[in-house]
Amino acid sequence: MIRVKLLIFFLLLLFLSLWLALFNLEVLQGAKFRELSKKNCIRLLPQQGARGNIIDRKGRIMVGNKLSYDVMILPQNNTDAEQSLNKVAGILGVNTETMAQTYRKGYFASSVPVTVARNIDIKKAIMLEELKPELPAVIIQSNPVRNYPYGKLACHVFGYLGEIDRWRLTKMADYGYKTKDMVGFGGVEEVYDYYLRQDEGGLSMEVDHRGRFKRVLGFEPPTNGVDIQLTIDLEIQKIAEEALGGHKGCVIIMEPNTGEIIAMTSNPDFNPSVFLERSGGSLSGILNNPDAPLINRAISGAYPAGSVFKLIVATAALETKKINSSTTFLCQGKLMVGRKEFLCWNTHGLQNLPMAIAHSCNVFFYRTGLLAGAQAIHDYAIRLGFSKPTGFELPNEAGGFIPSPLWYKLNKFRKWYDGDTANLSIGQGYVSVTPLQITRMMAVFANAGNVVRPYIVKAIGNKDISFSQRKSTHLNLKDTTIGYIRDGLRKVITDEGGTGNVLGGLPVAVAGKTGTAQAPPGMAHAWFVGFFPYQNPKFVMCVFLEHGGPGYYSCVVAKQIIEGMVAGGLI
Amino acid sequence: MRSRKFNIFIIALLIAALGILSIYSSTYQKTGKPWEDIYKRQALWVLLGVLIFVFVSSMNYRSFWDLTYPMYAIVLFLLFLVFLLGAVHLGAQRWLKIAWFNFQPSEFAKLAIVIFLARYFSRKSPYDITLSSRRFGILRGILLPFAFVAVPILLVMEQPDLGSAVMIFCIFMALLYLTDMRLKYMVIFLIIILLPAPLLWHILKDYQKQRLMVFLNPNIDPLGAGYTVIQSRIAIGSGGLFGKGWLGGTQSQLHFLPESHTDFIFATFTEEWGFLGSTALLLLYFLLIRQGFIIARRTQDTFGKLLAYGITLMLGLQILVNIAMNMGLAPVVGLPLPLMSYGGSSIVTTFIALGILVNIDQKRAVF
Repeated sequence: MIRVKLLIFFLLLLFLSLWLALFNLEVLQGAKFRELSKKNCIRLLPQQGARGNIIDRKGRIMVGNKLSYDVMILPQNNTDAEQSLNKVAGILGVNTETMAQTYRKGYFASSVPVTVARNIDIKKAIMLEELKPELPAVIIQSNPVRNYPYGKLACHVFGYLGEIDRWRLTKMADYGYKTKDMVGFGGVEEVYDYYLRQDEGGLSMEVDHRGRFKRVLGFEPPTNGVDIQLTIDLEIQKIAEEALGGHKGCVIIMEPNTGEIIAMTSNPDFNPSVFLERSGGSLSGILNNPDAPLINRAISGAYPAGSVFKLIVATAALETKKINSSTTFLCQGKLMVGRKEFLCWNTHGLQNLPMAIAHSCNVFFYRTGLLAGAQAIHDYAIRLGFSKPTGFELPNEAGGFIPSPLWYKLNKFRKWYDGDTANLSIGQGYVSVTPLQITRMMAVFANAGNVVRPYIVKAIGNKDISFSQRKSTHLNLKDTTIGYIRDGLRKVITDEGGTGNVLGGLPVAVAGKTGTAQAPPGMAHAWFVGFFPYQNPKFVMCVFLEHGGPGYYSCVVAKQIIEGMVAGGLI
Repeated sequence: MRSRKFNIFIIALLIAALGILSIYSSTYQKTGKPWEDIYKRQALWVLLGVLIFVFVSSMNYRSFWDLTYPMYAIVLFLLFLVFLLGAVHLGAQRWLKIAWFNFQPSEFAKLAIVIFLARYFSRKSPYDITLSSRRFGILRGILLPFAFVAVPILLVMEQPDLGSAVMIFCIFMALLYLTDMRLKYMVIFLIIILLPAPLLWHILKDYQKQRLMVFLNPNIDPLGAGYTVIQSRIAIGSGGLFGKGWLGGTQSQLHFLPESHTDFIFATFTEEWGFLGSTALLLLYFLLIRQGFIIARRTQDTFGKLLAYGITLMLGLQILVNIAMNMGLAPVVGLPLPLMSYGGSSIVTTFIALGILVNIDQKRAVF
């Protein structure tokens, strides 16, 4: 019976192919289908933790969290949901129809609550919570949101929060970042986002084919982010911001021996909470402002150094033994270098180094600079930490620039003339520096020869990281060099004709240097950088006013700050 | 050597037990009671089936020779009744409501037609082993029996139950093939039947068209017509090598898989028992079919032989088509998995058929 055999063979073949198909479906593609089956029946109800606080050096919260209350409606039961919508709309004073529309738009499945109102008033939240027995479908969910108790204070240090962008997402997806995550932009929020960010917890539950809740599979409590402690002193920060007022510019106060930033403020500033509310008007106001309020001028702005640069010239000349304590030059108000006349802002007569620093005599430094040579000035500027970022933690730090004869040849295709050296000696020309670099340079004279790395984060959670943050390079400057220059810096304040004489009457002995950097077409930039107390320096301060006029104005701001610190007993 | 009757009985009972376990699991709720006690009803049906099996297997199968035409008439009558006053369920009118249960005559129609065809192609005398079809032309050999078969096919199609209709037609063709009908005739016949098939498209119900389209590509309508196939494939695939364990299936218990205790019981079973379990189940079915073929080949009496082949083919084709449909390899048609799917008509019919098979085996020696 050939036909029977054929038929049986055919059926056997069918059985075998079914078995192979089973093998393919269950073993080869099993993992894929298991994933699909989980997707079918497991839903997650996320619950947000709180982002880590940012606290100051004494533990005071500078950026924290507050609770925002959202109203959600669980659509498990239709009549309940409708009734709830009416009641909620009534209490919140919203049009029922609009709310019903929001509800319909947000509806996903009957087990997934729909958010119908966000960020409602706490009193109304309490009212709704009291009505809970009548309205079982209403859920009041509290979500922690970023809170800025001091508003704009130190906004550049903190940065702001926003929804993650595409670029960050591709870079950080491996670290558990997802779309729609809120991440830090700029400042500590960005750099330490990984620590600050909270972990989403939530409820995982099983649902049936209609999305109806069946049972709870598990609950993972959300974890809060780690607190970041800064070296900032809240009170000094406040004083600095107040003193800077509406001026464009920045103030940096740093501990000279360690590099801890005690205060850092930049103006114009912005209110970080605007980015959370995403109210279109105020946001585009910030983004379209020509003064770029988002820029942290203390670290990202590179400006001509002006007379402050004379300290570098002095260091170079003293270290290379081109001048000494008895060197004097005569200032007649101008100096001919080559065929060009270089001016001083006054006629100072016979000047030695401390006097020249005190009076900020250009002629003295033209001659000193010409003696030392452009290359030596350039080299000492590099050693003092210019022309490259300081290694500070906050993002977008500028490096600044110091020209050199070689750079001239390579980029400007001309020789370096003595006139260029004269220009360099008073910090003009192609020189550009950041306020933070200037602050650090001043710290070298305050701490006797160490270039520190400025830092702002003192501790992550409970772990003090100051030790690994502190990095300094000893420059091996001669004691006499530092001594002469310190002497000059003190004379700036104490001398009758000193450019910082206005700071003389303070109860603290201040030493410092002013600068008036020409910045056409606007007014000059006003610099003041100094340290105090003179004998045992605890603070280095830099006040920079962008197009603020002569250095005197910076001294006025500095005076206000020091007065405020004295009044607050902070020195 | 244990008797073949015992073998068949044990295999059938094993499969039915697995079926009851799966039905229990598909209605099982992790919280609360099962939503229906249908696994108990299924157990009762299996018990009834076993009793009928014992009864039928002790009855001489040749008595069906005499009962053929009355049975045929009764089946036609029942199908007409369904046509007139059947219970509508899931959009199809396949059930007769009798007392407390729903009765599906198309299940019995399959068996009755197998008996009818077996008689038609064999001689009355059990000692004449030549087949009548040798002497038949295309008219008496194909067209006349097809006329008999076509009436119930049309009635079943009208219910609509395309699966059973196609199944009956396939059994008809297979038996023609086994009666040594000349292949030339069969090919001519098939061409005549299949030529108007494109026209048949317009006769099909909308849901049947959808199912066919969905069979070709389940993703064209994932939440509508393709839903069942997709969920069934997910259920089977997610079982993996070892399965999710009895009562651990999520696809069936949370109702993602429709018809999880009837037509798609195989998916329910496989989700929980995995590749190993489903391999064992396939093996059990294969052994059952093999027993049927062994009985058929050893039987000399043409009526018994054709009857045994017919029954074995009927079961085998249903098993293959149902499992293929569960895996998305065949279009979704309303065919139960014999011995496993929930449903009294199917269980009882299958046990009757197995009883006849066993009886053929025992009586064979007598002649």
